[in-house]
Amino acid sequence: MKLTSVIFIFLIVQTTFGQMVNDTIKFEPFVVEAFAISSTYKTTKLDSATTKSVENLAQLLQENSTVFIKSYGSGSLASVSFRGTGAGHTRVLWNGVSLNSPMNGQIDFSLYPTPFFDKVELHYGASGLIDGNGALGGSVNLQNSLPNFNDSLQSIKLNYNYAMGSFNKQIHSGKIAYKGTKKWFYETRIFHTKADNNLVYYNFAKKESPEEKLQNADLEQYGFQQAIYKKIKNQTIGMRFWYFNSDRNLPPTMLVIKNDENQKDESFRLLLHTNGFKNKYSYKVSTALIHDKLIYNNKLIDINSKNKALLVDNHIDVNYFINDKITFLNNVNVRYEEAKADGYDNEHNRFNNSWLTGFSGNFKRLNWTIFNRMTIVDDFFKPIAPSVSLGYQLPKLEDVTLKAAVGINHNYPTFNDLYWTPGGNPNLKPEEAKMSEVGLKYHKTFGKTTFTTENTFFFAHVSNWILWQPSSGSIWSPTNLKKVENKGFESTLNIKYKLNKVDLSIRGNYAYIISKNIELPKNTDNALNKQLIYVPQNQFNSSLNLSYKNTSLSYGYQYTSLRYISTDNNWYLPANYISNIGISQKIEVNPATFNLRFQVNNLFNQTYQSITWRPMPLRNYMLTISINL
Amino acid sequence: MSKFNSNIVVGLALLMLIFSSCKKEEFGPQCINCEENAISPSIQNDVIIVNEGNFGFGNASLSLYNSTSKTVHNSIFQQANNYPLGDVAQSAYCFEKKIYTVINNSSKIEVIDKSNFSSIATITGFDSPRYFLPINSSKAYVSNIFSNKIDIINLTNNTISGSITTSSNWTEKMLVFNDTVYVCDMSNNKLILINKTNNQIIANISVGIQPNSLILDKNNKIWIMCDGGFNEANAQLIKFNPNIRTVEQTFVFSNISDSPSNLIIDSSKENLYFINNHIYKMNINDMSLPSSSWVSNNGEVFYSLGIHPTTYEIYVSDAKDFVQNSTIYIYSPNQQLYHQFQSGINAGHFLFLQ
Repeated sequence: MKLTSVIFIFLIVQTTFGQMVNDTIKFEPFVVEAFAISSTYKTTKLDSATTKSVENLAQLLQENSTVFIKSYGSGSLASVSFRGTGAGHTRVLWNGVSLNSPMNGQIDFSLYPTPFFDKVELHYGASGLIDGNGALGGSVNLQNSLPNFNDSLQSIKLNYNYAMGSFNKQIHSGKIAYKGTKKWFYETRIFHTKADNNLVYYNFAKKESPEEKLQNADLEQYGFQQAIYKKIKNQTIGMRFWYFNSDRNLPPTMLVIKNDENQKDESFRLLLHTNGFKNKYSYKVSTALIHDKLIYNNKLIDINSKNKALLVDNHIDVNYFINDKITFLNNVNVRYEEAKADGYDNEHNRFNNSWLTGFSGNFKRLNWTIFNRMTIVDDFFKPIAPSVSLGYQLPKLEDVTLKAAVGINHNYPTFNDLYWTPGGNPNLKPEEAKMSEVGLKYHKTFGKTTFTTENTFFFAHVSNWILWQPSSGSIWSPTNLKKVENKGFESTLNIKYKLNKVDLSIRGNYAYIISKNIELPKNTDNALNKQLIYVPQNQFNSSLNLSYKNTSLSYGYQYTSLRYISTDNNWYLPANYISNIGISQKIEVNPATFNLRFQVNNLFNQTYQSITWRPMPLRNYMLTISINL
Repeated sequence: MSKFNSNIVVGLALLMLIFSSCKKEEFGPQCINCEENAISPSIQNDVIIVNEGNFGFGNASLSLYNSTSKTVHNSIFQQANNYPLGDVAQSAYCFEKKIYTVINNSSKIEVIDKSNFSSIATITGFDSPRYFLPINSSKAYVSNIFSNKIDIINLTNNTISGSITTSSNWTEKMLVFNDTVYVCDMSNNKLILINKTNNQIIANISVGIQPNSLILDKNNKIWIMCDGGFNEANAQLIKFNPNIRTVEQTFVFSNISDSPSNLIIDSSKENLYFINNHIYKMNINDMSLPSSSWVSNNGEVFYSLGIHPTTYEIYVSDAKDFVQNSTIYIYSPNQQLYHQFQSGINAGHFLFLQ
């Protein structure tokens, strides 16, 4: 019944827009594509060129941003956290639809191969409120580009990639895009990967650190994405269907001798949307159906657990351009969440609805955005979750922009928090984050050099942080016990230099994060004012790209400082510093373009762990061949 | 350009930091305070604390305490052997100058020399071992979770020599009395009786829900603590007569949320102690459960309990949030807090060396 009403709303709204007649005002195409997040917030944009050179989202973010990736190893579960918050405080959106599981609120970033999207945008802190509730740290936006209907030419584009690498890894991915007459567009993407992941490591958990091969780590994943678009006057109607299947054996830690665990994931994602503009309005109406399945199997202890989640996520986003200076924002999100797990007594569902209203505009040198998100989840009604951001271009130094943003966001307890048997606590309150940031952006071109740097200080309080603790006997139960203070500094630097046929680009990202408990249950004094576990204080990554004609050379470096693994900060994982190097060659044989790329990961053969006793790969190689037609 | 310069400075500073940190090779989890007090060969101690660590973290450890000098040594296995103890240390038993440490998630038993804590042997091949019980100088039993068997160990060559099939997939604490071994069966709520000579199961006797610990008193009666599961039934303390194999007395805890555990007895074999959030004390001749606690937890999380065989001092661990080092509190027989110190993560078992 609920589902029907949701679809009904979608149909009604679409019809309403369809009845509008006039279309006189001309907008830039990008306005129609999506409401671009105001530049007054801190964001990181990763374009298709960047996404192409890596395997999955986890690796992409690891190499190009200072969000923290917690990875169980090559191909294994990876989670992402922003600015000292938890993995459940990161929202992941696919073309505006939040994909986070209603069960644990998280996303496994290793299940998102880059060939399935074109662009990634990171929204830090308060800007995550634009994307929905729950982003107490930030959000990761995966985007598929809309087709360009500006010309009416018929075209077909083909792209195929094959990669082979260490540990018997093989990746196939392909994309075919066809733009027909009468403004139709079709696109198909396919992906398949297989790997043994039997990496070699030194097991220093054993006497004399013997060399061992990782057991039970093989995986196979495949999927496809199909898109169809049609443009009718100023309206684009689109459908995108994404299927993904993953079958992984789960390797043991270095301290476990015997294990036989497996995890199967399957996802069906359907997105229908229409974007367009009428008069002074631009709109985006979408409905998405997301169905995720997870089966965990442990043969040794005879556990076979099945989990299923269903999301129906609807958006009606309308922007009204009051004049050329002020835009009125009005976004409605009606979201239905449903989950069934072996850990629950029965199936659970809820509506997670919110409504964003606000204004965005500019006044002389000042850009500003102000909005509020009202949320209703189950019995919780949070009418106020505002955000304000300002960007001011200095009058005498036009290359310098000063930025500031504040905001409040709420994260609702997950179904696991509420209903897990035993232990779930139905009386939990939402977690609340109060976030602020100030920054300075500098962008200038000196002759052949372009120089961009952005430096941001942030400060946030997360209260009612949900913490699982033993209640009676050995039963763990969540409560709103913790208050956390996050503060720090983020710096990015980009230098681009062009001389004749030489292109040089240098990029660096640095983050300093202090994330500490400022309120805790009485008996855990030793954890008070200590850095949270698995939050590195310092993170740095950089890359250097040098290209000459059709040849390019790249070097990447990532440093992660020590991470504490006990709340009293007595135990830690040591720091790691990893280098990668790659060389690629483009060969043009009309009409095809070939690209060959050879990459060496972990160049200096560092032994390191991202999670305790999970071995990470030593030096390893990958060769990629791609063909574009 | 000042921002440019500052970025270079930050970058260079970081590079220096990175290269300076290369000096000492550190792989895997490290402990800052563990080796503050290094062990020496002539060490004299009487208490070993088994710190479980966290599942998957591989930070299980052994701490050593001298009750006379009040000195503590942490991570003694790592110190003596240069590799970690393993993942989730469940229990330890001292037998013939060797400490048998059961490492649950590493599916092994480390056989440790009592005099210098070096590993003599590693017994492997278990599923998910819980407790060790020696039967004679060449044979021992090991209980298991997620496995329908009790493993039999050959103590001469430190291998698994066989197993006893049970209908339980969670056998817990065990004790031996005369010719019979008594095993807590957590999954079927039974007491399993095994003939220790021929390893045959004699009987499965129903007790309360989830029997987690048992002890023998001076009248040769077995006391069994049943925690009642998660609000499944009221917890029970059962007095069992092994000679006629019948339950003699049942003490029922009044509140459904009571979840008592860690039943122990002092050297006189007369006084029982257990944890039910707080510490309780009960004489074997008492006609009812104690109405008030012996020592209140005062907001701490009491996790495991032990009693010193000669001083009669009560050792209790506070596991706090389970992700940090535990505090051990020692209470004198007159309920006074006598001493406290830090051990490893999740101190779950006390072993008193004699």
